[in-house]
Amino acid sequence: MLRRAKGKWTYFLVAALLLFSILIPFDWFLGRYTSLVILIGISTMVTVGLCLLMGYTGQVSLGQAAFYGTGAYISAILSKTYGVNPWLAMLIAAAATGAFAYVIGYPTFRLRGNYLAMATLGLGVIMWILFRQLSQYTGGPDGMAGIPYLSVGGFTFNTPFRRYFLVWFFCLLVLLVSQNIVRSRVGRALRAIHGSEAAAESIGVNVTQFKVKIFVLSAVYASLAGSLFAHHLRHVSPQSFDFLASVKLVVMAVIGGLASVWGAVFGAATTRILSDELLLRFGELDVIVYGLILMLVMVFMPEGLFVKLKDVVAHWRLRYEQRGTKS
Amino acid sequence: MSQSVLEARNLGKTFGGLVALDKLDLAIETGKITAIIGPNGAGKTTLFNLIAGVYTPSTGEIRFEGMPVNRISAHGRAAMGIARSFQNVLLFGNMTVLENVMAGQHPRSSSGFLEGALSLPKAHREEETVSLKATKYLNLVGLGIYAQQEALSLPLGQQKLLGIARALATEPRVLLLDEPGAGLSTIEKRALGDLIHRVSEMGISVLLVEHDMPLVMGIAQWVIVLDSGKKIAEGTAAQIQKDQRVIAAYLGEDID
Amino acid sequence: MSADQFVQYLVSGVTQGSVYALVALGFTIIYAVTKIINFAQGEFVMLGGMLSFTLAHSAGISLVPALILSVLGTAAIGAVLYLLAIRTARKASVVSLIIITIGAAIFIRGIAAQLWGVEAVRPPFFTGDEPLPFLGALIRPQALWIIGTSLVATAVLHSFLSYTMMGKALKASAISHVAAAMVGIDTRLTSLAAFVIAAALGGLGGAVMSPLTLTSYNVGVMLGLKGFVAASIGGFKSPLASVVGGITLGIVESLAVGVDWGPFTSAYKDAIAIILLLLILLLRSGTLAAEERAG
Repeated sequence: MLRRAKGKWTYFLVAALLLFSILIPFDWFLGRYTSLVILIGISTMVTVGLCLLMGYTGQVSLGQAAFYGTGAYISAILSKTYGVNPWLAMLIAAAATGAFAYVIGYPTFRLRGNYLAMATLGLGVIMWILFRQLSQYTGGPDGMAGIPYLSVGGFTFNTPFRRYFLVWFFCLLVLLVSQNIVRSRVGRALRAIHGSEAAAESIGVNVTQFKVKIFVLSAVYASLAGSLFAHHLRHVSPQSFDFLASVKLVVMAVIGGLASVWGAVFGAATTRILSDELLLRFGELDVIVYGLILMLVMVFMPEGLFVKLKDVVAHWRLRYEQRGTKS
Repeated sequence: MSQSVLEARNLGKTFGGLVALDKLDLAIETGKITAIIGPNGAGKTTLFNLIAGVYTPSTGEIRFEGMPVNRISAHGRAAMGIARSFQNVLLFGNMTVLENVMAGQHPRSSSGFLEGALSLPKAHREEETVSLKATKYLNLVGLGIYAQQEALSLPLGQQKLLGIARALATEPRVLLLDEPGAGLSTIEKRALGDLIHRVSEMGISVLLVEHDMPLVMGIAQWVIVLDSGKKIAEGTAAQIQKDQRVIAAYLGEDID
Repeated sequence: MSADQFVQYLVSGVTQGSVYALVALGFTIIYAVTKIINFAQGEFVMLGGMLSFTLAHSAGISLVPALILSVLGTAAIGAVLYLLAIRTARKASVVSLIIITIGAAIFIRGIAAQLWGVEAVRPPFFTGDEPLPFLGALIRPQALWIIGTSLVATAVLHSFLSYTMMGKALKASAISHVAAAMVGIDTRLTSLAAFVIAAALGGLGGAVMSPLTLTSYNVGVMLGLKGFVAASIGGFKSPLASVVGGITLGIVESLAVGVDWGPFTSAYKDAIAIILLLLILLLRSGTLAAEERAG
């Protein structure tokens, strides 16, 4: 892993990206892609949690869509059917989903071996069944529509332009919080777990507890994303939260890099764009491509595509600089 | 007679049909350097792992400074003051040398998810302290200049020292060393011996499991000998070397 | 529920459970020998059914050769999966391996959807579909085939593991790769064998089940999940427990749907296996000794 010092290059790049991002929703720039970029932002929030989970606990969640869907449906039901303030509904959804993840995670992480994958796969299926079957609350297989917009004071997020900034505000929040966590004492404990669980225990790290906490965090992120999703499309249906949705999230995390925070943006963006393009042209073939991506990336670059790309870029930068000093 | 920092009473461990340790009674004196030796299969590693909290006893109990610790997990024991090193070091390969030692400060610091997530001043202050203390321990084992290097870039001998520095960073009262001399050159073993003396002078009780006789005899103030899961002798290094039972147990074994 | 109905549900439960048992055996054997959870296990069942449909129905090949070819074909795919995806990954972490097998699973699913479409297909019955009387209920001959095949397959597997050199090598690898290597066992070969056997078992299950239950490109996920649950009951170590687990799950599912519980409709049938899994996790977690965690 190459360590790059923060040079002028990095600040320039960040500033350029920031400017670029702010200009996207303008019609004269990339305005027609606003909805896509909103969805990328929402997916990123879920992906970050998944990256942290897979990267630091060494376990895979195949049912992250369950938490995503729970957040969406609770927000939808509370705000539409019961007239609850959407922000409060979002908070309730996050708390409920987090508690849910705790109940599932605690017994699962205490066991050796890899039970989380199947447990979450099963969880995803159960939630999907519930979303379809509890039709008096969820609207059944057709889902529910008419979900209100989010608003602050008199200002309603009723245009893609406004929602773009709302979603990316939350997304950046999630990214920054995750970055902070990774750099903190907690992050060091997580990296210790990733390095050697036995050694982590020997320095006082309660490995199981940390794993559960990361799982809960990933569920909370997913729930927030789901709520934003509900208030963006104003319509939720079970199709968005099936097994394939969970698989797509894993693809995003794999491309972005396990244990990578900012890579999640790359992973979410690539996968979203890929899936929309593929779906457009090839119909059912997208599943084949996802399968291939998962296998190829994991076999040849297990740290994730983005991380590998970063290393390649750093390598070329080093050679470029060396060539410069030679002449 | 000073109080025992570690005590085992009727301690036993069975794996399936195999009795690894058989109703062991022993006491480790505070502030001393104690060595546990014995031929292969004697149960030294099992005893080590029982004290460290990796295994649960099948019979008997372990007490740390008078307190029973059977129910306390490995990470709990680290917080209580029992630190350990690993035979195959088990460094955190994704961190630098200094970060490995800073990780050892985990039980002596307290910033959690909230403080970390919000990047609170308290968390930053704590990081400063942790970093300073870690540097101190790193210098203690003589690896100060390598602080920013990748942990796995060090040669084995220095990796072992790093592992000990990490364990020391937990500010333990007992340090358990699992075959610290394995794979080290003669010079490195001498440096290890010196380090163990310095650790002992800091007031930390040291318990080591070791195969290397010269190393053990050179630094151990008390030696306990195990064979086939039982304690067959204990005494000073000089006494043990002359003990008939010990010599008999090692017959057929290469004493290096 | 009358006695006749009860027997009917019992029979259908044992039938379905036999398929779960075969899937569970596949999981167990791969996990025991390679420590990998093979998420593509359910897809092997799907492939067995699909291949036998193409061979027996579309190509008009007679029953026994079609069956054999389907099983061999699935076994070959299992070998390819191991050689191309697993072996090339070498020292991959557990996470990587799980994701690889998941990738393989959805890849196979996707290809199947392209080759066979999304409609369900049904290969021909082995010996027709005239229901036979049995303890007051009627049993379809294919169900007997399913139960019988599973029993025979389990027995053959057991003999193989206990009495042949390869079988013993597999058992040795299951205990320790290092130890096995030290006595001259090629652990890469035993791992390959594990995948081939698991795929063959799955394919057999699929071929024998699909005349009765139909099959389509997406049956793999739930079958895999249920087989996993059955294997969990045996802790992934005991083939016998896997079989018992599979049959039990089948019976529980069948009876739960049969008994009229009000809001509990057949849509929730799939949820039973999952709830069972979560219960197993909870129970195991609670009675766990410290060394399992620390190892």
